[in-house]
Amino acid sequence: MPCGEVMEWLVKKAEELARKHGVDYYEIRLVKVTSRKLIMTNGQLRELSSNSELGIGARAFNGAWGFSSANDRERFEKAIETAMKIAKLSRGNARIYLGDPVRDEVELGVKKPFTEIDIEEKLSLVKEIDKLLKGEKIVSRSVNYGDSIVETLYFNSLGSEVRTVVPRIRLGFSVTAKENGEMQSFWKSFGGTLGWELVEGIDLHHWTSHVKAKARELLSAGSPPSGEMEVIADPELTGVLIHEALGHAVEADSVKNGDSILAGKLGEEIAVEGLTVVDDPTLPGKFGSYPYDDEGIKAKRVEIIRDGVLVSYLNDRETAEYFDIEPNGHARAESYNHQPLVRMSNTYVEPGDWSFEEILGEVRHGLYMLGDKGGEVDTANGTFTFGAKIGYIVENGEIRETVRDVALSGKILDVLRNIRAIGNDTRVEFPGYCGKGQWVPVDDGGPHILTRALVGGLR
Amino acid sequence: MIEAVERLVRLLEGENVEWEVFYQFGRSGSFAIERETLERSQRKFYSGIGLRIGLKGRLGFSYITGLHPSGNELENLVKRTLKLARISEVPFRGFPEKEKTPLVKGLYDRRIDEIPFEEAHSMALEYAELMSEKKKNETISGSLSLAVGTSGIVNSNGIELEERSTYMGVSAYAVISDPPGTGSYRQSFTSLQNFGELERAVESAIGDARLSAEAKKLEPFTGELVLEPEAVSSLLDVFLGNLYGDEVYHGRSRFSRPGEEIGSFTLVDDSTLEGFPGSYSFDGEGTPGQRAVLVEEGVIKSFLLDYTYASFLEMKSTGNALRSFRSVPYIGTSNVILEPGEESLEDYEGIVVKRVFGEHTANPVSGDFSLTVELGYVVRNGELRPFKDNMLVGNVFELLKTLKPGRKARRISSFLSPRVLVEGRLV
Repeated sequence: MPCGEVMEWLVKKAEELARKHGVDYYEIRLVKVTSRKLIMTNGQLRELSSNSELGIGARAFNGAWGFSSANDRERFEKAIETAMKIAKLSRGNARIYLGDPVRDEVELGVKKPFTEIDIEEKLSLVKEIDKLLKGEKIVSRSVNYGDSIVETLYFNSLGSEVRTVVPRIRLGFSVTAKENGEMQSFWKSFGGTLGWELVEGIDLHHWTSHVKAKARELLSAGSPPSGEMEVIADPELTGVLIHEALGHAVEADSVKNGDSILAGKLGEEIAVEGLTVVDDPTLPGKFGSYPYDDEGIKAKRVEIIRDGVLVSYLNDRETAEYFDIEPNGHARAESYNHQPLVRMSNTYVEPGDWSFEEILGEVRHGLYMLGDKGGEVDTANGTFTFGAKIGYIVENGEIRETVRDVALSGKILDVLRNIRAIGNDTRVEFPGYCGKGQWVPVDDGGPHILTRALVGGLR
Repeated sequence: MIEAVERLVRLLEGENVEWEVFYQFGRSGSFAIERETLERSQRKFYSGIGLRIGLKGRLGFSYITGLHPSGNELENLVKRTLKLARISEVPFRGFPEKEKTPLVKGLYDRRIDEIPFEEAHSMALEYAELMSEKKKNETISGSLSLAVGTSGIVNSNGIELEERSTYMGVSAYAVISDPPGTGSYRQSFTSLQNFGELERAVESAIGDARLSAEAKKLEPFTGELVLEPEAVSSLLDVFLGNLYGDEVYHGRSRFSRPGEEIGSFTLVDDSTLEGFPGSYSFDGEGTPGQRAVLVEEGVIKSFLLDYTYASFLEMKSTGNALRSFRSVPYIGTSNVILEPGEESLEDYEGIVVKRVFGEHTANPVSGDFSLTVELGYVVRNGELRPFKDNMLVGNVFELLKTLKPGRKARRISSFLSPRVLVEGRLV
């Protein structure tokens, strides 16, 4: 049965079941995912897959949420009924934002659909990159390609019916270099809600050389010093810093649960003047973009911090109602079998007016750290850790020797207040996956910034 | 064997190929408590069939969801997987042969399988109530989950195995807002636990949150310190990547063969431990579960292997092929055990690090790590002075050289370890 027909049948079934169980609000997502994946390591193909699956996620609300999911068509109806029964059993006293019904259909357009590219051509791409990654001191190389189309049919008891089609493509490669017992890795990822044009736009020679050169450079690098010091973050590291230091703490579910140090701080100046931070799922083509969230709310650009002042939280239906703020469409689920949580999309720092040279000139003794190795935050304590891929010692405004990859740590409120310079060179092109019990694709970035952090070096 | 798999096997027997069918079905119920209120309850159903086909030294893989496929869907699954085997270039090293497969005990508890959802829901409500009773100035959240699942595997070498197991997970998280402090607790089981476990969860989270709220940053320190099992787990995570057979084979491990001396401890992966949540009687390829000694008295003895990488490395599978029907087997750990040693660390006086975070920012091949301390304490004359926000920094290979295990092991889900003594550095 095609998706459309399944959907019609489900809409009817859900209405009947809601009447039977006396449920006021329910929402159902029917999701079809088609994906292809290729992984090659050292010239050897490890995975080549092409799959498709259809599943349902049903939620019902009765002052608390009941949720059920299934991927066997025989159980779709039962999943809807189960969600409703659970909601009836729950009888909580929470409330949710309802709003007017929405009927819409959005396909994120691409220039060159990757579905029209043969799997053989994707395999050739992976092989070509694998060859380019060969080189002196390189003992291991890996290439990873994936694309997916997620078609979501959302409907709820208010009469909303939203169909979205989101294509996503990603390409990443890494190398490990080895010399005298030392080993170091470096990697680069590309991704977006784009078509094959993403791949065609990549200068593969440049980026494969870059990755190899950096891995080799790290082999002879020393560890950075340790302790609190001035750190210049490049646009990629600024991205992970702002994602960890601010983004998670403004997810309204954390705030509501008493799990964020930024609770009760709306309207307060929590960062330096001039700092503006945005989360925008509507940016065209970015990895974290989507047209509607998984509660059928239209995705909106959100200014989190405007000129140093905390102005908004990222929210879902429940927290929008709880905080009495406008819903901004940030409820995202990893897949049909997950309940939506409040999540980021594309998070970035707006440009300031400093040039990179001016920022560098400000630093007498510090570090210039680059790249994103992920991070983690304890939003209640207000402490976060984030990793950089490589760095350089900065002495009197000049870049000196290379230092190894290292993690840095900071207190959310201190780091945001200690930003001394905001560069004019914002870039948002660092795709990745963010984990909060569920994984969702995100992007982040910003300009070069200068702040203070605790550096976990070995010297 | 379930009916859909029987039909699939009949189709495959008509093809001149090697094949393997892996299937799963099950359900889970879970309950999220936020601010001592049960906010989200869910009951999920899943099922699916994964098919691997080996053809002329190449491997194809594909899957379907659900256990009620039409004849057409099954035929398409076979066709699609065959096509992928033809074009894929993924090397095929064969499937495991049938072996004696002793059943691991204590992995299934009928009480979890048969508990009515309403009863599980009441248990979650009681858990929320317990949080309200125990709290003072904390906000408490947590979760409770119960699951039952069946995995089965059939291959062209005559393997035909099926196992049903149950799971119970408990977590609690306490937050104090001023001054900020957090405490958490996480544990899992294969059998239904009584109320005492829920009490332990809440009390432990509250206890840590109170310590955390009092904690200050410590002056930088280099020297002997003790790690609690929680922190040991984080550090071993950084190290363990080096023992994965695929990483070894592809040159992304510090080690290329067993025999290297890296310290004096013993580290084991054991999927045969009765009642441990990481246990199984057979892995995702049908290889029997086993006790694999990874490091014996400081010397690397084995890597974590599935059938494919064991074959590449000319070794024997350690039964560490993990799996879902959606994926080809991948190498992973079952239960990780750091064997207890001689050190008496229960009443250790000095610096103790309980919990660190950020291990995925560490570099497994160089071994460099810098992890944020979530909670630690300085013990002097039996009194605890908590600290946090320092970073524990170092190189994991250097640190392991100094590691001396204590006597008494504690289990955290599928990890079992005593406190350990190490030379470490806090900044």
